[in-house]
Amino acid sequence: MAAVSATCIRFGTSVELPVRANNQIIGKSSSLVSFGWGKTGGFPCIRTSRLQICAAKPETVEKVSDIVRKQLALSPETQLTPQTKFTELGADSLDTVEIVMGLEEEFDISVEEENSENITTIQEAADLIDKLVDKKA
Amino acid sequence: MKLHCFERTFFHSSSSLTPIQLPAPMETHLWYVKPSEVRSESLLDQYLDILPPCERENVLQMRGEELRKSALLARALVRTTIARYQINSHSNPRSLKFRKNLHGKPEVQWQFRDDRHPPPLHFNISHTSSLVACGVTTNAQIGIDVEEKHRSIKHNILSFARRYFSKHEVQFLAAISDPQVQRMEFIKLWTLKEAYVKALGKGFSGAPFKTFTIRFKGVMEGGFNTLEDLSLKASEIVVDSFDDPTDLTSNWQFSLLELANSHYAAICTEKHGAGSGKRNSPGKLTVWKTVPFLEDECVSGTAAVKVIHGVQ
Repeated sequence: MAAVSATCIRFGTSVELPVRANNQIIGKSSSLVSFGWGKTGGFPCIRTSRLQICAAKPETVEKVSDIVRKQLALSPETQLTPQTKFTELGADSLDTVEIVMGLEEEFDISVEEENSENITTIQEAADLIDKLVDKKA
Repeated sequence: MKLHCFERTFFHSSSSLTPIQLPAPMETHLWYVKPSEVRSESLLDQYLDILPPCERENVLQMRGEELRKSALLARALVRTTIARYQINSHSNPRSLKFRKNLHGKPEVQWQFRDDRHPPPLHFNISHTSSLVACGVTTNAQIGIDVEEKHRSIKHNILSFARRYFSKHEVQFLAAISDPQVQRMEFIKLWTLKEAYVKALGKGFSGAPFKTFTIRFKGVMEGGFNTLEDLSLKASEIVVDSFDDPTDLTSNWQFSLLELANSHYAAICTEKHGAGSGKRNSPGKLTVWKTVPFLEDECVSGTAAVKVIHGVQ
């Protein structure tokens, strides 16, 4: 892994790219693809079979995506990646709060309002959920 | 809608935007645009053209034409609106710079030689896919929120309120037996609470909704029993903050409007001179419906603006 000091690198390209975690393809992103450096410890959240440090469980990401789809009434064609921002999908503050409430119900957790500004993407939601679920265990 | 991404030198003189005086103290200006009424491709291109590359990118990242359009109109509205006030010769919407405060509230980054006296203009925007609004005040913090009247939420309203609203507000909503009325009152309350935290500059995370109550003064405790109780125009909207006792109700004033028969709009502005001995008369509100660069229509006092509570 190259040592990179940048905290944010974004690429916008049209590529057919499998998104992997645990060697399973969890989705394909065929339009705008962006890779973000995770906020947790500065490790990249590019999904490969070797970098698992900040990756939320794929089931968590899947469930979060489902809740987001339902809340925002997205068409099945709408592609979601872990880095997709809720605002890009048209979520306003009421939608975001409803998404958070949906996540609390699904995962039986409690998200402090202070944290809700940190939940702006599917990835961020999944990371927080796994953290809170682990704390409970 | 085709959004052209190549650079074009499009000069817009400030004369295509009707200049206007800053609102007087205690006065609020509200500008709104309905995306459905902006159909000209070339106009949309003009809007895209006044945006800096980062704002343009944000607009183009929105998923779907409707979302891109309202995102574009939000940026175009705020830039053209502020440019109208021609502060310190900032009359070109293209040249305005913005930054965010600690909590992420956008504000103008004024470029001028004398740094010590920032201009007194304050603004706040809110948008839905069907209406975009920008409020402007002088020397007073402002927060606005607009919501579609017919907006429904996925969760049960009382469950949602129990989770996020204050006890008093839950009681208020629980006392409403008609589900349609309950939903409408919920949306109104949401917009008022949003407007307040946006005026504070803290947003939802900085001022959790449970930490303050918005209520209608002049109404009996114990809730409403009849529809007539709910239409008390004369009643004042007040806020009680539990977290911050220094943040007095008397610091803030609220208006709640029905805009264009389709949206609720809540406006929260800072009040000055509270306790000065003068009777707190409600400030003036002027509302324009606009298509930037094309036409402005003052709609205050028309059917497009129905005051539900607050200023006239």
